[in-house]
Amino acid sequence: MLQLLRNEWLKIWKRSATIVMIILLLLIVGLFGAFNKYQGSGLSVPDNENWKHGLELENKGYKEQLEDEGLPQESVRYNKKEIAINEYRIKHDISTNVDYSVWDFIADSTQLISLAGLFTIIIAAGIVANEFNWGTIKLLLIRPINRIKILLSKYITVLLFGAFMLIILFAFSFILGSILFGFPDEYYPYLNYYNGTVKEQSMFVHLVGYYGLNSIGILMITTMAFMISTVFRNSSLAIGISIFLMFMGSTVTFLLANWFDWAKYLLFANTDLTQYYEDTPLISGMTLSFSVTMLIIYFVLFNGLAFWVFKKRDVAA
Amino acid sequence: MVELKNVSKVIKGKKIIDSLSFDVQAGEVFGFLGPNGAGKTTTIRMIVGLISITDGDIYICNESIRKNFENAIQHVGAIVENPEMYKFLSGYENLIHYARMMKGISKEKIMEIVDLVGLTDRIHDKVRTYSLGMRQRLGLAQSLLHDPKILILDEPTNGLDPSGIREIRDHLRMLAKKRNMAVIVSSHLLSEMEMMCDRIAIIQNGCLVDVQLVKDFVETQEHLYEIDVDNVDIAVMQIKELLPMVQVIKKENKIELPIQKEQVPDIIKKLVQQDIRIFGVKEVSKTLEDRFLEITNQREG
Repeated sequence: MLQLLRNEWLKIWKRSATIVMIILLLLIVGLFGAFNKYQGSGLSVPDNENWKHGLELENKGYKEQLEDEGLPQESVRYNKKEIAINEYRIKHDISTNVDYSVWDFIADSTQLISLAGLFTIIIAAGIVANEFNWGTIKLLLIRPINRIKILLSKYITVLLFGAFMLIILFAFSFILGSILFGFPDEYYPYLNYYNGTVKEQSMFVHLVGYYGLNSIGILMITTMAFMISTVFRNSSLAIGISIFLMFMGSTVTFLLANWFDWAKYLLFANTDLTQYYEDTPLISGMTLSFSVTMLIIYFVLFNGLAFWVFKKRDVAA
Repeated sequence: MVELKNVSKVIKGKKIIDSLSFDVQAGEVFGFLGPNGAGKTTTIRMIVGLISITDGDIYICNESIRKNFENAIQHVGAIVENPEMYKFLSGYENLIHYARMMKGISKEKIMEIVDLVGLTDRIHDKVRTYSLGMRQRLGLAQSLLHDPKILILDEPTNGLDPSGIREIRDHLRMLAKKRNMAVIVSSHLLSEMEMMCDRIAIIQNGCLVDVQLVKDFVETQEHLYEIDVDNVDIAVMQIKELLPMVQVIKKENKIELPIQKEQVPDIIKKLVQQDIRIFGVKEVSKTLEDRFLEITNQREG
């Protein structure tokens, strides 16, 4: 099995497309860093003695908005959250006067997680379909190795690649952030609002957790791309559908959720688990255990289909 | 070594292969001959387990390919159609890749095989830069890594130039004789098979038509003679008198008849006695191609 993984890993890294992906990822993080650094004053917070007063004013504004009955559910939620966090700051004397640091940079660069996800999808979409396109699948399947093992080695390789991309993104934004922006002078917690209460969290823990929760979405969509690739033996189709759903999936689900209750059973209503930790669920009435159950069902479905089809497939063309 | 027992394949309700049975011995090159679409490739793919078998079974060294795929396939090396390799890897990396999928293949073994197929100079170049002949040789190397007892090649000479074809042919004959391997080759090129194989199975519309030694196949006992005469009808009458059992084929001013050599003088004598003018008598030698067409046409007719 280890040998199979080595083979798949070799086949990924010997292709120039993969190298381009890594360079692109690093380059974009670099540009992102340079942009943040040299964009100038917008980032450096001026020392403001009256920050507490400012927050109080802010809260007053939010509260006035809340009195308006016609305020949409979304805004009510957002306002309540902001009020709670601001009150917590005032009470515990946590100033907003903090310079942009490595933590903020990493937090900002989490936007690039979807880029890492995109590259992982491309790999997942190609890893089976390409063998069929190249015709090498024939030589691969006439070895004394069970087909299930061959497909499993490919799937694990995809997951490793995804993890590798995320680690690269995190590590590189950490390194670049600490060089460009440095560490904060004093301990600065992340304030997490969940279920009506505010909690202090170490920034590092928060960021790692954020990556972890995000990677679940990537895991699911990668598994889907892998399944499409295996079933239809067409990498473009797998890439197209997966990327479309990755960017449009949650929007479409959100729209559907306005009218239909069954929207909560859709994959993309459940992929973003951060909604249970940082925010309120997309569709009210959904719980963490519901989402995890749905994700497991989708996961088993995708993989079951991929492995079953691959096992039964007549390699004819 | 390889044994097919009543193998059938049904795809979408259509019988592609209809209870095929034959076996292949060690040390022989076994040709698998048939027109395009006859089911050669399907059969070969069933032997190597790429396509499932609807009915019947295939045994490789007495292991069922259906029930014990891994045990059965470990004795087999194969190239299925064109030897498609990973173009972005070097030849050596390709071999390493396949070597890792089987147990106990050392680096020395790989280099020994590379030497055998004559790729030593170019083995570290990317496969992208290889000629078709070199790819074919790399394909052969890949199939020989684990010292298989059975070598299976689907259309091995497809797209090769004459020298490449010759090269492959020599390799195959050498492997069969020196290493006592069973080699199975499929092709629709008859002349090619004639030179390469010991035995030939002819397959048409998914059915086995015939299995014969190449020697017997080409050299049948009776030869076809063509006699050029001035009066066909009388000549035919005379020959019928002499040899009532022989089937005489009338042509414009020739007759054709399958007879043995000893009978030729008798016929000439008889014709000459009847004042029939003979312009020529010649033996029409039958090639594999004629035999092949004859056999396949019979089936169709």
